[in-house]
Formats: sequence, structure tokens, C-alpha cells
Amino acid sequence: MRLKYFLFAILVFGTMLISCKKTYLDIPPMNVVQDKDLFSNEAGMTVYLARIYSQMPFEDFKYSPARQFFDDWLVTPGANEGSSLGRDAGTAMTSEGWARNGAYWGRAFNLLRDANYLLETLPEYQSNFSSDVYNDYIGEGYFARAMVFYALAKRYGGVPLVTSVLKYPQHPADSLEVPRSTEEQTWNQVLVDFDSAIARLPESSLKRGYANKYVALGFKSEAMLFAGSVAKYNKITGFGDKTGVRVIGFDPATAADASKKYFRAAYDAAREVMNSGKYSLYKKKWAPNDKEAQYQNMVDMFFDISSPENIYIKEYQYPDLAHGYDAYNIPRQLMGGNGYSAGNCPTLDFVELFDGFAKNDDGTIKVLDNNGKYLLFDKVTDIFANAEPRLRAYVIFPGDVFKGQVMEIRRGIFTGDASNGISPLRVVNGGSPDYTISGPANYNQVDAYTASGAFAGHKSLFLSQNANTNEVVTLPDGSQMNAGGKNGPFTSDATCAMTGFTVRKWLNPNMPQSLVLEAHSEQFFILMRYAEILLNAAEAASELMLAGEPAPNGDNFQEIAYNAIRDIRERAGADPLKSDLSGEAGLQIIRKERRKELAFEHKILWDIRRWRTQHSDNLNGSTQSDGAYYRGLYPFYSSTTGKYFFDAGFDEGRRRFRLTEQEYYFLIPAGEVSKSPVIDQQPGR
Amino acid sequence: MKKLFYKVLICLSATVILNACKKDNYPLPAETLKGRVVDAATGEPVLTDQGSEGTRVRLRELSWKGTASPDNFDFFCMKEGIFQNTKLFAGHYNVRVDGAFIPLLRKNDQGDTLADETQYVDIKGVTEVEFKVQPFLKVEWVGTPTVSDGKITATIKVTRAVSPADFKAKIEPMGNYSDDMLNVTDVRLFVSEVPYVGYREWDNRYTTEIDYSGNSFDAQLGQPITITTQGTIPAGRTMFIRGAARINYATENIKRHNYNEAVRVDIPR
Repeated sequence: MRLKYFLFAILVFGTMLISCKKTYLDIPPMNVVQDKDLFSNEAGMTVYLARIYSQMPFEDFKYSPARQFFDDWLVTPGANEGSSLGRDAGTAMTSEGWARNGAYWGRAFNLLRDANYLLETLPEYQSNFSSDVYNDYIGEGYFARAMVFYALAKRYGGVPLVTSVLKYPQHPADSLEVPRSTEEQTWNQVLVDFDSAIARLPESSLKRGYANKYVALGFKSEAMLFAGSVAKYNKITGFGDKTGVRVIGFDPATAADASKKYFRAAYDAAREVMNSGKYSLYKKKWAPNDKEAQYQNMVDMFFDISSPENIYIKEYQYPDLAHGYDAYNIPRQLMGGNGYSAGNCPTLDFVELFDGFAKNDDGTIKVLDNNGKYLLFDKVTDIFANAEPRLRAYVIFPGDVFKGQVMEIRRGIFTGDASNGISPLRVVNGGSPDYTISGPANYNQVDAYTASGAFAGHKSLFLSQNANTNEVVTLPDGSQMNAGGKNGPFTSDATCAMTGFTVRKWLNPNMPQSLVLEAHSEQFFILMRYAEILLNAAEAASELMLAGEPAPNGDNFQEIAYNAIRDIRERAGADPLKSDLSGEAGLQIIRKERRKELAFEHKILWDIRRWRTQHSDNLNGSTQSDGAYYRGLYPFYSSTTGKYFFDAGFDEGRRRFRLTEQEYYFLIPAGEVSKSPVIDQQPGR
Repeated sequence: MKKLFYKVLICLSATVILNACKKDNYPLPAETLKGRVVDAATGEPVLTDQGSEGTRVRLRELSWKGTASPDNFDFFCMKEGIFQNTKLFAGHYNVRVDGAFIPLLRKNDQGDTLADETQYVDIKGVTEVEFKVQPFLKVEWVGTPTVSDGKITATIKVTRAVSPADFKAKIEPMGNYSDDMLNVTDVRLFVSEVPYVGYREWDNRYTTEIDYSGNSFDAQLGQPITITTQGTIPAGRTMFIRGAARINYATENIKRHNYNEAVRVDIPR
């Protein structure tokens, strides 16, 4: 017995001695994928790039300003840019405070590391690839890095320019801290990385979904337009507490030159795409002077994967990678099983940007006659019968057909006398019509509904509480009619066409109602299309003209800008341009065209931010810095005449949009600032 | 035997559990900082909005060694231009206030410090500080507000509390100076149902704003300005009103208003 313990002790002691010194166990763990597995062959690189692309900051059907990237819940592009209002994408969601995960900060550095790792490691394995393939992979690395820095710069200004792999734990964490650079250095890095990508990427993508030269050129022009605009229009700047670096804004001494440099880069990049001749505006169904064809053309272009306008798209496929755009944005009448609908209701302010219906001198829609009584329309569709085809392709109007059904949008029924015309409804206690912000917010407060004032004793307005609780009106012919339409708008349920409109753009017209569910949609998202290239070229040209810069290689800025806007308007079926595009007025025409063409594509919110007009634009008498409101157009049926009339005014929900100037720069996540000796919070915050 | 086993087990687990935590014997934050922001010229309090567009108090605990640099700890002045925080850790602090007055910490456009009039104090017990600042504007009531038909009419007077020369001498070295910074951009009569009326608490149905372009307001400096509220305030309501004005200059990237004191107005039945 004793001997057994003794032998055991010797054995243990012996094992300890032997196990030292030998190195034959010192190999990389066999269950972890090694560099040589990934970087030495194309199959491995496909895996590596799949990981990179899955982290790309693409603003698509899985992006919302509130929840940022990689999250497809309540995606309603347009709802914070002024193009639309959404029940769930309300006022608070304009604010960065809602952005989860510190907006993009944390996740950016994961992809940045993967891109840097590729750029540093792949050269060791260069001999395994043909030079074309090798160059593409390196180009993809630069493209990913450019996209990360671009996504960061437009949110935060100056960021830490990590351009090599930080080796931890080989080096102590303290020595790896990288402070934020200036905003100008950051935009310069964006420019350099896009150029590095463009120099290496092929003419067409190596694999479906990969970038190519023109994709990089497209995003470069967009990014440089952003940089040039910030350099020109930004007013807020300051120095970091810890580093003394100008982490937001430009040095006034260099801002003007920087702005010109970036606008020129934007212009040149856009022109290179145009000159390649590889892309064109989608006009497969288009026909001159045929509004129906022009409308159908613009509906189809978002679903035609072979469209010559698509420069870069993000594809989805059920069930592996699907989204919920249809479920969240479907008209209430066609609501799917998850109970979401109408998350994206275009504002009247947006609709009024377009042509094709009667307007007052101030550009607002004409709904009253010269005596201040409502214009009466035989059919609810009459008011927009000649609307610009592009607008019809983006917005569903009352009475429009979608998925074979007539979309019933009606706020209520007016049963009062109409023999002397109908006076504006927003009247309380016999006063005069009040369409200011202090007027009645909701139609259930007005005299016609509460039977007071001029309507004392005879209730003349009937409304629906929600889709299931209707006031029912017996019409003169004896038939019965629900007060509200099937799409509302309703008094106390916002899953409806709450502005009197509902969105058509991107909605799959062929999806059966039973499949309109979350995570069931698979239409692709167009991240970059040729129309934006034209708009980028026009805007950059206009800015360069204003700065007094000469045009490069025989171009005529005036002509380039004019032709770009003319072509877009022609395809859209809009009225022809009336003037040239010179000066500040020309720039405003180009911007307005952009707000129309690219609405609901996650672009416009960034545009109004880079123009620095989001806080200061006059919006129905207020600015967002004080708090501002959008308007809707509410259709009513007059039962005694059998006609329709429209009431234009502030959104009934009075959704207040507010943005202070300093919010153009997102807060750096507080935890990142606390734990780092070098990362500065935004100055003044 | 079994009992003993449980006793041992309990002792053992208690040891393990208690080992895992350290006794938190850090004293509760119980020190108090009180302060006032007053006009250096007159000694009167600098009235403000209550919120991020009002006077901000920023503390940085310099004696804190847990991180490389202390985090900013912000709170806001009360509308009377006073502030108080009773839940602070004892320590050595930098205290600064930013509002509608000449910045206390001034840096040039290279980030170098030109002047530092912030205060460095040891906070223990009840510590009091007073900041003597130069507000941009002074807003005063003229007479008593009147009410008719649900509208309040009030008269205010706006004067400069810092002379243009003094303003220029202090702001110009910070870089990017323009005389336009001195222009009064807007005068408002804020209306609210609560006494904390101001930029963060106003009823936009009734509040009136008058904008001025360029230096067009200069002629009205010191002159009575009569402002009437918008809309119709229902009879019987109690409202609070305040006059406010601001110049075209942002401190800490926010253009802040100077205020007069809030007054209560009863709308008769």
C-alpha cells in the first residue's frame, strides 16, 4: 500500500520533469482557422470577404436612423428626413439618443480591424493568386476601410484613424490608444482609401455583391460631397479636452480650400462613372408624353435586377436573409398578420415639392377656391389626376390602386349643408378658421364634429376612431358608409395613412397579403444608382461654380449640371426645367431635385445634415432648432353633394421634430470616453 | 454528524461568498456645492433657462485618479441663476459655468488657453462659489403685462450688459471673430403654464418670436418693445411669461438666451 503511493509520487514527479523543455506541442490550435487557411486560396478569401461584407455599414432595409445598422425592425426610410411621418419613427427618433450601441462607433472598429488585417496579411500570400484577383482583394480591403471611415466621419467628425492592426496582447493596451484626428484629416483618409480602392478594383465585380471600381467611385462622390458641404456650411467646431485636437469642424483658415478640394473630388468621381458609359437611367418602359408608362417605369425600376441604373445593390433572400419593409410600410387596408402597417406616411410638405397639381402662390397645394371655400372634386383621385409620374410611383394617393385594390383614404364624412360651399373645418367655438399651431389639432375638436359654433345643434362631421370603430353615416341614397376610409386616417390609431398618404416606393406590388410579414421580404435595396451620380455631379458642379473654380478637361459645369437635372426630370415625367442652373438659385433647384428623386433611400437625412439646413430650414413657420411640424392632406367626403374635398394642415399627431445645431455631431459613447485617456467627447457636450 | 456537516458547509460557503466581494466602504457622496452666477458689473444674478440651452455647470473632479482624466459631470442652473448639488464626493474640483455670457475658459483657434476664469475648489461640507460673469444682454420688464381677449401683452427692454468693445477684446483672440456676433437675432416672449418657462418649456401655441436680421435690432436697444402672445389662451388659465433675447454668438456651440424673471399672469374668466 505504501509502495503504491511512493510509486505514484515518483511518477507524478517524473512527468513534471519531462513535460518541460519539449516544444513538439507548441503548435497553433488545430481547431482555430489559421491565416494560411484563409489567405492562401480563393475559397478561404470568399469566407473572409463574406465576413467583411456582413459587417459593412450599408444603409439598406436593415437600417434606421434610430436603431442604426443590422436591425430590420421598423425600417421606414424617409421618416426622419421630412419625406414622411411614421407612427413608430416619430419625433424622438430623430435624435441620436435612440441609437443603440452608440450609433456605429463600437461596431465600426470590428470591421476596421478585419480590413486592416486583410491589407497587412494578404501580401504574405500574394503568390497564391493571379494579380487581378490579388488586386481585387486588396481593393476590397481599402473599400471596406473607406466605408467605415466615411460612416464614422459623417456621424462623429474626427475619429481615430487606425490604419494598421493593433496587436494586443503582444503590445500593452496603453501603447495602442489612438486619439481622434481632426475632421479634416479624417475626410482626407476617406479620400485616400477610396482612391486606393478605385485604383485596384476591377471594372466589374469579381463576385456578385462585391464592390467594383464604379461602386467605389459612386460612394467616393457621395462622401466627398458630404465633406465639401461640411467644410463649407458647418458652423460648430472645437477642441478635444484631452488632446487639444480640433475633433469637429474645419480650421477656418483651411476650410474654403478643403471644401473646393472635396467638391472637385466628388465631381471627378461622378464624371468618371458617367464617362464610363456603363450605366444609364432606367427607361425600359418609359415613353415620351405617356404618364402611365412613365409611372410604371419608375415603379418597376426598383425591382428590376437587370436595371442599367443599378450601380450597387444589396440583395436579400428568404429565409436566410430577409427583411420586413413590406410588413412595416404596407397600407393599413392590406395589413399583414404581424399587425404592422403604414409606418411611412409621406408628408404634404414632401408631396408639394412635385409638379402636376394646382398650387397657391406660396407653393402650397390649392384646396380652397377664391372665396375661401373648399374646392370640390367629383372623384377623390381628381386632385392628383395629373400628378408627376415619379410622385405617383413613390406615394399612394387616396383612391389609387395598389395590388388590385382601390386604396380608400378618407378622414371623415361631412354631412353639413354645401349649397354655399364648405368653409374650412378647423374652427373651434365659432371662431375663425385657425390653421396655425394653436388651432385645433384633431378633427374631433372642431365645431362641425362637436356640434358647436355655427354647427350648434347639428353634428355635421363624422370620423372613425380606428379601423374597427367607425361612425357610420347613412347617405342620401340610403346606403351606409363608414366615416373613415379603410386606410384611415383615424382619430386614435396611427396604423393608418396618418398624413392622408401612404408610401408606394419599394413596396413589392406582387407580394400576397398572407406573406406580408416581418422578415419575409426579399426585394433588393439599391445602395447606389445612376440618378444619384447625376445629382452628385450637378451639385458638385454648382458648388464649384459658386466657388469660382474652373471646370476640368473641357467640361462645362453649367451644361453638365443642366443636362443631369433635365434627364432626371424627363425620366420622372416632371415639367421641363424653366431656367438655367447658375448661382445660388441653381444650387437650390439641384437640391430640391435630389430631395424628390432620392427620397426614402436613406440619403436625404444625410443631405439635410451636410447642408446644415436640418436645424434651420423654415418648416411651416418654425425651425427644427425650436421644434417644427409637418403637414398632411386630409380627404373628406361631402355626403350632400357626393363630392370630395381636402383639408391641408398640420399633422394631427403634432409630431414635433427637433434638432439642435450641435447634434450634427453624434455623441461619442460615454463609456468609450471614460475608459480611454485619449478619446475626446465632442467639444461643448 | 449530519448537523456538523451542514454547519461546516454553511461556514465554508459563507467564506467563499464573502471572499468574492470587497466591503464597499466608500463614503456616500454627501458634500454640497452651492453657487451663484452674477453680473460682474451690477452684482445681479444672471437669469437663465433651466436646461441644456441655459447656464450649464460642469464639474471635473481633479482629485479623481481612477481614470486618466475625469469625466465631465454636468448639471444646470436654476432659472434664478443659482445652482446647488448636495450629492457630491469630497475632492478637488474644477467648476465652470457656460451660459449667455463671455466664456470663462477662452481658447484660441490653435486650442491654446487664453484665459481661465473657472474656479478650482475643494468641495467638502457646504462649499459656496460665485461666478462673476459678463452677460451678453440684459432683459427687463417695462410696466406690468396686460391681458385682453386671451392674449397677453407685455413690454420688455433689452440692453447690452457687455460693451461691444469689451466683447470684442475678449472674443476676438479666440479666432474667427466678426462684428456680426454682437447682433441681436431674436427676441421672444415665452409662455408656459409652469413657472419654469423658457426655451425648454414653452407653449408654442402662444409664444411669440420676433426675428431681426443683421444689426437691425441695434436701434431698439434700450427701447421698450411691446410683444403680444399668439393664439387665444382659454379664460381662467394661469400662465407664466418671460422675455428673452440672444445674440448671434454661441457658447459651447449653443446660442443661448438671456432672460428676465418669470411673472405670473392670470387670464380672467
